[in-house]
Amino acid sequence: MPPIINAEQCSHCGTCASICPLNIFTYSKGQTPVVAYPEECWHCNACVLDCPKKAIELRLPINYMMLHVDADSLHR
Amino acid sequence: MIGFKDTITTDVLIVGGGIGGLCAAIASARSGADTLVAEKSDSRRSGSGATGNDHFLCYYPKAHGNDIMPILQETFQSQIGGFHDPKLTLRFLQESIAMADRWLEWGINMRPFGPDYEFMGHAFPGRPRIWLKYDGHNQKQILTAQAKKAGAKILNHTPVVELITADGEIAGALALDVSSEEPSFRLIRAKKVILATGTANRLYPAAGTPGSPFNTAFCPACTGAAQAQAWRVGAKMVNMEMPNRHAGPKFFARAGKSTWIGVYRYPDGRLLGPFVEQATRYIGDITCDVWNTAYTDVLHNGTGPAYIDCTGINKDDLEFMKQGMVSEGLTTVVDYMKRSGLDVTKHAFEFMQYEPHLIGRGLEVDINGETSIPGLYGTGDMVGNFRSDISGAAVYGWICGNHAASTVQQGSFREVEHSAWVQERAELYSSFMDRKNGGTWKEANLGLQQIMASYAAAGPYNVRSETLLKAGLKYLGDLRKESIESVSVRNAHELMRAVEALDLMDNGEIIMHAARERKESRGMHLRSDYTFTNPLLNNKFLQVWQENGTVHTNWRERWGL
Ligand SMILES: Cc1cc2nc3c(=O)[nH]c(=O)nc-3n(C[C@H](O)[C@H](O)[C@H](O)COP(=O)(O)OP(=O)(O)OC[C@H]3O[C@@H](n4cnc5c(N)ncnc54)[C@H](O)[C@@H]3O)c2cc1C
Ligand code: SF4
Ligand code: SF4
Repeated sequence: MPPIINAEQCSHCGTCASICPLNIFTYSKGQTPVVAYPEECWHCNACVLDCPKKAIELRLPINYMMLHVDADSLHR
Repeated sequence: MIGFKDTITTDVLIVGGGIGGLCAAIASARSGADTLVAEKSDSRRSGSGATGNDHFLCYYPKAHGNDIMPILQETFQSQIGGFHDPKLTLRFLQESIAMADRWLEWGINMRPFGPDYEFMGHAFPGRPRIWLKYDGHNQKQILTAQAKKAGAKILNHTPVVELITADGEIAGALALDVSSEEPSFRLIRAKKVILATGTANRLYPAAGTPGSPFNTAFCPACTGAAQAQAWRVGAKMVNMEMPNRHAGPKFFARAGKSTWIGVYRYPDGRLLGPFVEQATRYIGDITCDVWNTAYTDVLHNGTGPAYIDCTGINKDDLEFMKQGMVSEGLTTVVDYMKRSGLDVTKHAFEFMQYEPHLIGRGLEVDINGETSIPGLYGTGDMVGNFRSDISGAAVYGWICGNHAASTVQQGSFREVEHSAWVQERAELYSSFMDRKNGGTWKEANLGLQQIMASYAAAGPYNVRSETLLKAGLKYLGDLRKESIESVSVRNAHELMRAVEALDLMDNGEIIMHAARERKESRGMHLRSDYTFTNPLLNNKFLQVWQENGTVHTNWRERWGL
C-alpha cells in the first residue's frame, strides 16, 4: 500500500484525494481518505508534499529497490 | 446509459491541464476567449511536471549570442532533437526566452542561482549549453493560479474521452466526470480544441518491473488520449513508429537523469563514455543522451551493469544536486534514500533503459500548433513533429492558445448534442458499467502490453518485420473485440481506466501501421526484413491517418527553414 495515512494526524481536508495525479484515493467529507487503488500509485510524492498535517508516508514497493553498490567497489 | 450533465459551451477547450495545457489556457484567456480546461486529475499536481522539473531548453541571446543557428543545431543534437520540423523549432526558440521571462514574473524560480539565467546540464564539453536550470517544484500550482487569474475555468477530474467533429472541423468533445463513484458524461461544445494530454505510457510492459505497470518514468495517467481520440476523427500523426526509451534508476522508474551529477561506470570502474572524467553542475556525463541504448547493451554483452557514480563531484555540486532533486520533483527518491541509508557520496546506482513510450511522437501540427483538422490544436509531449519537453509544451501551448483565441471569431458553434458518433461512443462506454462479472480494464491493458512487446517491440535486440506486425495487428483486433464485448467496470474510476486501455490500443494500432510502412531500420525501429537505414528517408516524415476505417500513409519532406 504505497501512501500510508496516519488517521490520528489526518484532518480530513481531502487535499490528497483531490490532487493525486492518478486519482487513487476515495474521499467522503469528514473522513480519512481511503487508498482505494494502491497499485496505481505513481510514487510522485505529491500527496506527501501537499498534506497540511504531514499525515502521509509514502512506502516504495519492495520490488522498486533502487539497485546500488558501494561506490568504492568501482574505484579499484 | 450513463447520464449526461448539462452541456458546456466555450470558445476554446483545452484537453489536459499539464504544462502545455495551462500555458495555452493562460494565453487564450488573456486574449479574451472563453477558455475551459478539462483535466483528468487536478491541474495543481497533474502530469509529468506534477512535482517539478529543472531543465528548460531555450535560446537566450544574452548568453548565446545573436546567432540563433548554433542553438538550433544544438537542439537537434540533444536528446530531444531527433524528429523536428525545423520551421517549428525555429519559431519555438525565437519565442522561448519570453516564456522563461513570463514564468519568472509569475513566481516560478527561473533564476535560483543569482541575478541572471544560468544554463547547465545535458551539455557537451566545449559546446553551447542550451538548458536553463530552474526550480520547478511549485510550477503546477503557479500555472494553475495564473490560468484562473486570466479567467480560464478548470474542470478537474473530467477526462475527455472523445472528440467531436462536424463537416471535417472540430466541434467539441465528450468528457467523463469522474469526481464521484457514479460516472456521468459531459458534452463540451467549442469552436477550438487544444490537445495537451502528454506522453503515452503503459503501452509496453514496464521494463524493470513488469508486474507493476504504473512504475513508469513519465506520468502513467498520460495514456495517449490525444493520439487515439484524434486518430478516431481522422487527424494525421507522424513518427509514431519511432520508439523512444528513457533511462534512469533501476528499478524505480523516474525521469530526470540529468539532475544526477556523476559519471557512468562499468563494474570495473572504467568510464562508459568519452565525454567527461569529472562531472560538474555545468557539464554532466552526457554519454547516455548520445549512446541511448548503453544500459541495455552492457547487460546484453555481459560487461554491465552500468552505474552512475556521483562520489567524485565537489561538495558544492553535491549540495546543488540535492537541491536539484527537489526542484525536479524527485523528493520520493530523496526520501527513499534517506530511509534506506543510501547516500550518493557512498553508493553508486544502477541505471537502466525503460520501456518504449510516446513522447514527441503523435499529432502533426503546423507553425501555429494546428493539426490537420481545422480548429484542433496540439502542444507538448503528444506532438509528433516537434519536441522540447517542458519548454516546448509551454511555448507551443502559448502559441496555440493565442492562435486559437485570435481566430475564434471566424469559427462557429456546431451541433454536438445529437451527434450519432457521441451516441455510439457513449453507449459503448456505458455498456462497461451495465455489464456484470466481465473482464477488467487491467486485463485489457496487460493484453495490449503483451502484444506490443511481442509484435511491435523496440530495439535494441528486438526486431519488427512485416509478418510480425501483420500478426500483431490481427491479435490487437481480437483483443479489442474481446475487450469491448467483455469488460465490466464498477465505478467512474474503473471506467476511466477502461477508456485509457482502449485509447492505448489505438496508439498500438497506429504504431504498427506506421512501423509496417517504414521499410528500413532506424534508431530503435529495427526491421529484420529491412536491416539497413535508407538515406532517402533521412529528411522525411511518415504521416499516418485513417478515414472511415481505411488506413492511409504518406511520406513527406520535413518542413525546413
Ligand atoms: C520526473 C520528471 C522530470 C522531468 N524533468 C524535465 C526537465 O527537467 N526538463 C524538461 O524539459 N522536461 C522534463 N520532464 C518532462 C516534462 O515534464 C514533460 O515534457 C512536460 O510535462 C510535458 O508537458 P505536457 O503538457 O505535454 O504534458 P503533461 O505536463 O504531462 O500534462 C498532460 C496532462 O494531461 C492530462 N490528461 C491526460 N489524459 C487526459 C484526458 N484524456 N483528458 C484530460 N486530461 C488528460 C494529465 O492528467 C496531465 O495533467 C520531466 C518529466 C518527469 C516525469
Ligand atoms: S504518491 Fe502521487 S500517485 Fe501516489 S498517492 Fe501520492 S499523489 Fe497519488
Ligand atoms: S491531505 Fe493529509 S490531512 Fe488532508 S485528507 Fe489527506 S491525509 Fe488527511
